[in-house]
Amino acid sequence: MSKAPQQDRLKLRRSKSRQWLGFDTQRLLKLFFGGNAVIAVIVLLLITFFLFREGLSFFPQYQKNMEQYRRSGMEFTSLVNEEHERFNQLFRSLVDIRKLQIEQLTAQGLSHEEIAQASAALRERIYAFSELAVPLRNYQRDVRNITRDTYALAQADLEDEATMAQHYDNTIAALRATFSTYEEINRQLVGSIEAQLALMPDFEGTGLQARAKDFRQDAEQFIVSLPTYQARLTAWQPVKEVSLWEAIASFLFGREWIINNDGHSSYGLLPLLTGSLLVTGIAITLAIPLGVGAAIYTNQMALRGEANFIKPFIEFITAIPSVVIGFFGITVFGSAIRWLSQQSALDWLPFFPITERLNAFTAGCLLALMAVPTIFTLSEEALNRVPKIYKETSLALGANRFQTTMRIIVPTALSGIISAVLLGIGRVIGETMVVLLCAGNRIQIPQLSEGVGVVFEPVHTMTGIIAQEMGEVAQGSMHYRALFCVGIVLFVLTLLINYIAQKLFQHERVGD
Amino acid sequence: MENPTPQHPHETDPDTPERSTIIEIEGFNFYYGQTHALKDINLTVEDNSVTALIGPSGCGKTTLLRCLNRMNDLTEDARIDSGKILINGYNIYDKDVDVIELRKKVGMVFQKSNPFPKSIYDNIAYGLRIQGIRSRSKLNEAVENCLRAAALWDEVKDRLNDNAMMLSGGQQQRLCIARALAVEPEILLMDEPCSALDPVATSKVEELIHSLKEDYTIVIVTHNMQQAARVSDHTAFFYLGRLVEYNVTEAIFMNPKDPQTEAYVSGRFG
Ligand SMILES: Nc1ncnc2c1ncn2[C@@H]1O[C@H](COP(=O)(O)OP(=O)(O)OP(=O)(O)O)[C@@H](O)[C@H]1O
Ligand SMILES: [Mg+2]
Repeated sequence: MSKAPQQDRLKLRRSKSRQWLGFDTQRLLKLFFGGNAVIAVIVLLLITFFLFREGLSFFPQYQKNMEQYRRSGMEFTSLVNEEHERFNQLFRSLVDIRKLQIEQLTAQGLSHEEIAQASAALRERIYAFSELAVPLRNYQRDVRNITRDTYALAQADLEDEATMAQHYDNTIAALRATFSTYEEINRQLVGSIEAQLALMPDFEGTGLQARAKDFRQDAEQFIVSLPTYQARLTAWQPVKEVSLWEAIASFLFGREWIINNDGHSSYGLLPLLTGSLLVTGIAITLAIPLGVGAAIYTNQMALRGEANFIKPFIEFITAIPSVVIGFFGITVFGSAIRWLSQQSALDWLPFFPITERLNAFTAGCLLALMAVPTIFTLSEEALNRVPKIYKETSLALGANRFQTTMRIIVPTALSGIISAVLLGIGRVIGETMVVLLCAGNRIQIPQLSEGVGVVFEPVHTMTGIIAQEMGEVAQGSMHYRALFCVGIVLFVLTLLINYIAQKLFQHERVGD
Repeated sequence: MENPTPQHPHETDPDTPERSTIIEIEGFNFYYGQTHALKDINLTVEDNSVTALIGPSGCGKTTLLRCLNRMNDLTEDARIDSGKILINGYNIYDKDVDVIELRKKVGMVFQKSNPFPKSIYDNIAYGLRIQGIRSRSKLNEAVENCLRAAALWDEVKDRLNDNAMMLSGGQQQRLCIARALAVEPEILLMDEPCSALDPVATSKVEELIHSLKEDYTIVIVTHNMQQAARVSDHTAFFYLGRLVEYNVTEAIFMNPKDPQTEAYVSGRFG
């Protein structure tokens, strides 16, 4: 610092770095790393764009399809179907009563002939009942025959609009001509069901009596509901347009996902969504105590040797391929659960024994296994981020270790723990292989009326359906697009969960 | 501020205490693994007095403080080689000593103010709640008393439910003192309580220490010579893990016996 700086000693001019194809190396490096980041962003954007383009174009297509369905009169067929289905249900419960009766008689040690004799009266009623359905069934077949061709024609999309309109009008006219038949059938149905009810035999034993009473009530309800079918029929407007909202709503809130390759398919999300949520719910309920508990234990109570043993073990679960976990679920776990449910010691549980080996519970348990490492590792990290000084201070105030953990450490790490749980949920809801293999794949809305037993119902999930059906659909078809739509719902759901998790995480960082 | 004038004769010999002693350290040797952090310490602390521990960085002041309420139990590799520490006549490292009870009796205020991320009220009530005290009126009373004792009541009485993190650094440190007082300790250990504070906050804490002397025995670590001179009755000078000189504060500053002490207190240490 003795001399004043001279012009040429103070080298402020940037020295030339090495050049390569006209770029200097600094810039090239920057381009390389920046380029990688950009590629990641672009790929994500492309995926999102593609997903939404394919998925969202489902709705106009579905809207058009629903309109064809309505105008060709198929919608009317489905109304009749509904009534028929309802009648069949009634019929089945009657058959069930007889099954129970026979079971009870067998248990009493009666011979075949005696049983046949004792249940003869009921058998008569069953025959008579099945006869009652015949006109309804025939009518249903007739209307379907009237409408089916028109619907197929509309779907083929070969005719011009005017001709098609002509076809529609003809079909509807033909349908309207049958209305009086339908009314007549229903009227007769009321009379004959009442007649049959009057002829019902008396039963012995409270179980049978209760069932018979239920059946009677059910049948009376059916009779009462017949005019509503009639009313819906009158209100039915075959030319009313289907709005886009109607199409969206019938996707989001539709209760049926039925793929019918030559007839009409309905794409209702609810069975899949509820299935996914049920499985995820089970998994998370099991994974939270396991993951968070293990994290608290390793971070706060375990000896160092124990922690060094537990951590890699739990993290190792991540390394098991999900297909292996699924395989284990099918071959070992599912059967074990069913075997357990059939033990007489557990008979007091209302939902035992279970019939299905593969169900939401089986899948949920295995998904819990997969969520535990995520929840464990991130919760442990959150606990670790709590400043050590809090622990010392608490102990210095005369708290014991347990109090310190539960009152200071865990509450301080809580937002981090919640975000760990959310990320665990994100992982579970997007998991495919295990649910496909273990959830039972029955497309139906789980029946909450069964109480806790609902967890033992086979379900299908959003991820499962995409994996299962995507391979078979024709590209660009409505089915294909519907699957993309399910993908969008899944995407939005996971995005939302991750977003909340990240918010909580940041919140915690700031609080540090 | 008034000048505390200690009248007791100095007590380098711990076996003949004049006033009632509360802490007695005898031949204490302490190791962190291979590091011999405290070497043969002999020290006696009087009831209701303020004792300052001074000395260059790394000489073992914090270590000694943490030994007094057995916070070093948490440190891995830490071990006592020989010697004992008696508090009220009990050897606190005896097998049958309840560490929790000990820590209730020997409170500690850390160097960095560290309120829990809870409300002001909950911070102070914490020490009582963990003892199972639930009564709202008792807690209210304790919170008010402790905040008054820590000269913080007037500043925070209208926002007891605010997060303690919102307080200023000086307020946080006084809150930590109040929190330690809530457990009703007999001894208060303070590790550089003012190191992060500005002069105004520092003088508030010093006044506080003065007033607390009535009811508590205080052992304070400080790097600030003026502070040691202002607040303490006795001063102990440590160097490289040894207790070099221990005497009445005035004597340490006016008339140090050891040349090292003299060099240190006069700022010519090197
Ligand atoms: N947890 C620990 N593990 C190992 N060695 C430690 C540990 N804590 C302190 N030491 C060592 O013990 C000696 C005394 O440290 P101590 O913290 O008591 O010093 P100090 O006097 O408080 O210093 P300062 O004034 O800087 O706070 C130092 O040599 C330090 O390196
Ligand atoms: Mg220190």
